[in-house]
Order: sequence, then structure tokens, then C-alpha cells
Amino acid sequence: MSGLKPVNEKARLLEKAAAEGHVEEVTAMESVAGCATTFDPGWEVDPFGGVASLCQPMEADLYGCSDPCWWPAQVPDTLNTYPAWDAGKPSAQNDWRELDAVFPEK
Amino acid sequence: MSIPWSQTLRALASGTAALLLASCGGHAGSSNHDILITAAKPDRLFVIDAGSRSITHEYRIPGADGWLGGIVLSPDGRIAYVLVNHMESIAGIELSSGKQVFRADLSAPGERVKCLFAFDVSPDGKELVVYENPTQLKADEYVVEEPRFAVFATNAGLEAKAARTYPAPRRVHMILSKQDGKSFYALGFELYEYAFGDGKLLEQRGIRSWDHPGHSIPDLLAVWPVTEGTGEFVTPIYSNATVPGGPAGGVPTTSLMTLDLKNGALTYQDFEPTAALIFSAVGSPVRKEAFGVYSALTKVDTAQGKLAKRVNLDHTYYAVNLSTDGSEVYIGGAMCDVGFYDAITLEKKGNLRLPGCPDQALATLRVIHHP
Repeated sequence: MSGLKPVNEKARLLEKAAAEGHVEEVTAMESVAGCATTFDPGWEVDPFGGVASLCQPMEADLYGCSDPCWWPAQVPDTLNTYPAWDAGKPSAQNDWRELDAVFPEK
Repeated sequence: MSIPWSQTLRALASGTAALLLASCGGHAGSSNHDILITAAKPDRLFVIDAGSRSITHEYRIPGADGWLGGIVLSPDGRIAYVLVNHMESIAGIELSSGKQVFRADLSAPGERVKCLFAFDVSPDGKELVVYENPTQLKADEYVVEEPRFAVFATNAGLEAKAARTYPAPRRVHMILSKQDGKSFYALGFELYEYAFGDGKLLEQRGIRSWDHPGHSIPDLLAVWPVTEGTGEFVTPIYSNATVPGGPAGGVPTTSLMTLDLKNGALTYQDFEPTAALIFSAVGSPVRKEAFGVYSALTKVDTAQGKLAKRVNLDHTYYAVNLSTDGSEVYIGGAMCDVGFYDAITLEKKGNLRLPGCPDQALATLRVIHHP
């Protein structure tokens, strides 16, 4: 953690908990799928601090992340918010160019 | 849970395999006639003859709405229960005909219900237990309700309603029926055992609070309920282990967690300082070894508790399973192909690309074993 700087509220809470000796109360992933429950490494960095152990290629992991709302900040979720994001695009490796960015509805 | 080979499927697969072997020369050395089941976007269910590396049936699941997840097979191997519709429905598809014979739509007007992968069929095939996460959808707010187990009769047809419900703990991601049919396991932060009949909590054992001296709180990713070959559920589990003279925070360590569905035995076995990721694993029915998959295929010597062999794969796979005789490893999930690997050498023996290259995403790769 010494080389990491928290940039959002959740990360600051984690740093504070570590400083106060309460880090054991911060619960990591343990298979809990669903939006906003996951904060393990992934997409940007793997558990070893590099990128070699991310899913290869990225498309192998794309629908495996969008379907259970695994990293909703990085990948639109088809679980609740954007259920039709991949409609008509069943092949991540062939159809990725057709997948659009998403924006909150006004 | 051992899944016997149904006569219907045997007839279908044998005919198809014989035809293909006659026309293509078959696959040298393959005496394998397992049937593999996988699913892919947007609504496809595949029946695969492992011996001939061919698809014998491709079906469309009604109302999948582009979303498919876990697959559970009936004990007689006739029906595949597939989580579809964004975790809100379970469809039972008859594998010989593709006909939908069971359907449970979990949500109702005003209440959205998600099943986060956790469901299983009872050993007698008569009931399906489903972990439900309900949320009330009100005009200006969502009200998160208490989770519950819902039990459905598998003969309830296409508008199945829960026959009974029980209170359930939060954060359950897998249900596994015990082989005596009297209870089922729910895997979450801890391992719970509930009575099938009245939902009584029979036992609670540690996962997050595991009894594994010298190890930190573990982490695991377990949404692939593969048990058919051995009656045991095997999954990788990660923690930091205290090592004499090692770093203060411990050494990242990969272990195997094994739950025996015959007698409930729960064991943990370290096998390496974490050197590669593994998403899911399967135990061998014939040797003391297990196989895990992610971007590499890993073989673990479970007699010695050590890494036996590891080979890199063409791409990341999520799901792994094993042939009846333990000679061949099947890998799937993610992307659009199923791989076949030699269990001894981990040499690639074959690959089947699903037509149209649909993504399997989080689909379980299941096996219907031959006698």
C-alpha cells in the first residue's frame, strides 16, 4: 500500500482503516458479484502489480464482467443498468467495435 | 453428484459420434464419449459430444434476454437448468429436444429478484433450491429486502412458483446439494448447511473465518459449481501465509478448498506460493490430482500438495471439467471455444469453436459422464 495514493472516498477509508489497525474489517471480494461490491485489482492492474495476469485477451473477460456487474466503472453492466448494451453483439472478440460507451440518462 | 448417462442422450450421441467417426476418422486414442453442456450469448445452449469434438444439438433458450450464467444438470442428465434473463429467471431445457420444460421467473411486479449464481437441484431431481436477492422497486426508492432460499418443484412447469422459502444469509454465491438429499450447502463468507425440508440451519463452518493456522482471511471466486466427476467441489482459495523468516504480511499462497458432498468433509490444502491465477478447479475421479484454469492450465498433485504442471493457454478460460476416465481436461467459459487437453501431459488435443463465435461469458461447462 505504501506506493499507492488513495484518490476516492473508499480508498481513503481503506487507508484510514489500515492506519488505525482495523483493516481486517474491510471486506474484500470473496465471490460477491453485483454492482459496487468489488474492489479487487483487475482491468488496470493484476494481483501481482502488473498486467500479465489480466485476462488474455481483454475480450475474454468483457462479457464475464459486464454480465455480473463486476467492474461497473470500467464496463457497463448488463445486470441492471444497461441490459441491452451487448444486444446483437454476442461475440465479444468479433463485435467489440460495435459496443458503445454509455452515459447516464437525463 | 454423479450424473448417470441417460438412455436418450446415449442414443443421440452414439449415433452422431458413429457418423462423424466414420466420415472423419475420429480422434486417435479417444475412447471418450462424454457429453459436454455449455451456453453462449445471446440465448444458445450447446450439447457437445466430447469424443468427436462435435456439437450434437444447439438450442435457443426462450426469454434469455441475452444473458446466460450458471448451468445445473438434473441427476438423470435429461435437463439443463440455466440461469438467464440477467439473473432473474431459471430455464429448464430438455436436452434431447431443446424444449423448455421448467421456468421460474423470480421477479414480480414491484419486486426485482436476482439469483447470484447460487442454485442447485436436489439429488432426486424433484426440487430446485434457489438463492434469491429481492429488492422492492418503489416510485422513488429501492428497498433492499432480506435474502431467502426458494424451493421449486421441478415439475411445476413454465410458471413455477416457490413451494416454500426460508431465510438465508447474505453473500451466498453457490448452492451445492449434499448427496443424501437431506440438506444443501450454501457458500458465502462462511459455509452453511441447511435442511432441504424446513430450511433449518444445521451447521456453519468457516471460510472467511477458516481454521487454517498461519493464514490470513482468504479470498475465493467460486461461481462454477462443478462436482459431477467426484462428488466433491474443489476451488482455489487465496490467502497470505506466515512463513518463518518471510515478510511480515505473509506470502501470497494458493490453496485448494475441497468440500465432499457425500460426507460434508471440508479441507484446505496449500500447494504453491501464488504464481498464477486460477478461476475454477476440478478434482480427478481417478488420481489424486486437480486441475485449475485461467490463462494457464494448472495441475495440482493433491497427494503431495504441490504444483505438478502448468501450461499457458491460447486465451483465458473461466471453466474447467474432466472426462469420466480422468484422461482429458475440458476447458470453456469466456470467448467461444471449448478446449480439450491431455490430463497427463497437459498437451492440447483439440478445440471446438462454437458456430458464430458466441461468447460463453460465465456459463458453466458441465459433463454428462458415460457409465
